[in-house]
Amino acid sequence: MQVVAWLADPAHWQGTDGIPVRILEHVEASGLSVLAAAVIALPIGLAVGHSGRGAFVIGSLANLGRALPSFALLLMLIPVAVNLRLDFSTWPILGAMVLLAIPPMITNAHAGLRGVDRDLVEAARGMGMSGPQVLLRLELPLALPVILTGVRLAAVQVVATYTLGAVAGGGGLGRYIYDGFARQDTPRMLAGAGLVALLAIATDVVFELVARITAPHGLAAGERSGGMEPTGVAISGPGV
Amino acid sequence: MRLFRIIALGASTLVLAGACGAGGSATPTATAASASAQPSQAAPAAASVAVQPAHPSAAASAATDTIASRLAFGGPPECPQRPFCLIGLQKVYGVTFKSFVPLDAGGPLTVAALETGKVQVGLLFTSDPSIQVDGFVLLHDDKHLQASDNIAPVIRTAVLQAHPDIAALLDEISEKLTQAQLTSLNTQVTVDKMDPSDVARAWLQQSGIVPTGGSHKGNIVVGSTNFSEQLVLAELYAQQLEANGYSVTRKFNLGSREVVQPAIQSGQIDLYPEYLASLTEYLDNGSGLATTDPAKTSAVLARLLKPKGESVLAFAPATDENGFVVTKATAQQYGLVNVSDLAKPAP
Repeated sequence: MQVVAWLADPAHWQGTDGIPVRILEHVEASGLSVLAAAVIALPIGLAVGHSGRGAFVIGSLANLGRALPSFALLLMLIPVAVNLRLDFSTWPILGAMVLLAIPPMITNAHAGLRGVDRDLVEAARGMGMSGPQVLLRLELPLALPVILTGVRLAAVQVVATYTLGAVAGGGGLGRYIYDGFARQDTPRMLAGAGLVALLAIATDVVFELVARITAPHGLAAGERSGGMEPTGVAISGPGV
Repeated sequence: MRLFRIIALGASTLVLAGACGAGGSATPTATAASASAQPSQAAPAAASVAVQPAHPSAAASAATDTIASRLAFGGPPECPQRPFCLIGLQKVYGVTFKSFVPLDAGGPLTVAALETGKVQVGLLFTSDPSIQVDGFVLLHDDKHLQASDNIAPVIRTAVLQAHPDIAALLDEISEKLTQAQLTSLNTQVTVDKMDPSDVARAWLQQSGIVPTGGSHKGNIVVGSTNFSEQLVLAELYAQQLEANGYSVTRKFNLGSREVVQPAIQSGQIDLYPEYLASLTEYLDNGSGLATTDPAKTSAVLARLLKPKGESVLAFAPATDENGFVVTKATAQQYGLVNVSDLAKPAP
């Protein structure tokens, strides 16, 4: 009940420590991290998935990346940022979040492409499609739901984990959790945690919608985000 | 499954819409203010908080043209509600900063923030050797906001009654802990990067504190708050107890006073190192009962602790107060010597 009172207090909706500003900071930094990670991870995942080469190395690196705790990365990156004269409240947490977001995206991009029926790939090649054409016109559209699932997993993880940034003086909703702990202000802490959870759910829902909109024609809704089941899937040709 | 998704989607949308609606309607001006409050921060997610002055009249003059209104201040997250920190700076000195950046309790983040210019004024502890080592300028507390923050162990009264010899054991440490000794302990930990337990062990030996022996006297849980001096002090207490027949459970680095006080009141820790005036003002909500006389402050503190089932033991000559520091460059730029200089009109 105290949490509800905390959330209802208009004072907590104003100023630089207010909920709208903190949500904005959180979304901004999470979005930036996921975007940067996608720029790095998706080309690698697609290249490996398409060519089938380097799968072991990339898979191992991705698993290693998952094993690294973001908290340790954050603290290790702080002295680096200080030496480089970069703001240590901003960049170390972004770095840690990019590294957190890369592995699921690589893994899913790879798995998505690998999941495309080999017979279809062979048929496309038989029709005279070049390597890039096969990737762009056949593999990518069919693998898109799985690739987007990777982005979605990464985004939800980043939104939940970006709260760590508060330890280094960063903004976002983690501020309420960390400051709430330091001040033993439990309603503040719980409100922060609740808002983060809501934001993570909202992120999930947004990606669900994106997945729905971008799902290839001919794929039933139920088959989108699970394992690829290409049997009976009609390829609707270029421009999908 | 599909139905569940649709329901979840609908619920989230409603909640978000509600959140945005409430936020939007309540804060048209606040959002604009926040955008202009940090013009120099290009970074997307800095935590600085525009300080809300307690008195509107003081705000009108302070927010526009004092030196402090041009400077960002960095300190621990609990600082805005601490009498010897932002509350006292506002009340006693009329100082209101441009923004407050929540960092750590006189630790590496605050030092780095000062060195990189992320903040211009920082809270470090007066016993912290890094003030000298890093060449910071400690602003003189000319209006005596800080009171007698002598170091003393705080212990659960029930534990003290069950083990009355603990008082004499810890008094021995307090008696020998001078300001020079404390600075030396801190230098070894923060500058020479030595292990707090090694530093404590060496100090106990050198100080000629002889163990009286004994065994199986029981288990004592020693706690500490979250900065390096506390780790050495708690280690001193712990090793002294261990040398005299107690077994000790260490629960160090628990957090701020706001975390450690409930921990001792609920019996999760038995004793931890404290600072007379800071704890007094914490307990009396900053009503100013702490003075510059440590004996009087200790007596007041004992009275405040009694209903909470806690006792304060003898205090050391060594003190550790909140110190407000700036870099040499900032001190020169604004001519800062005293804390009160921060409230002067900006050049």
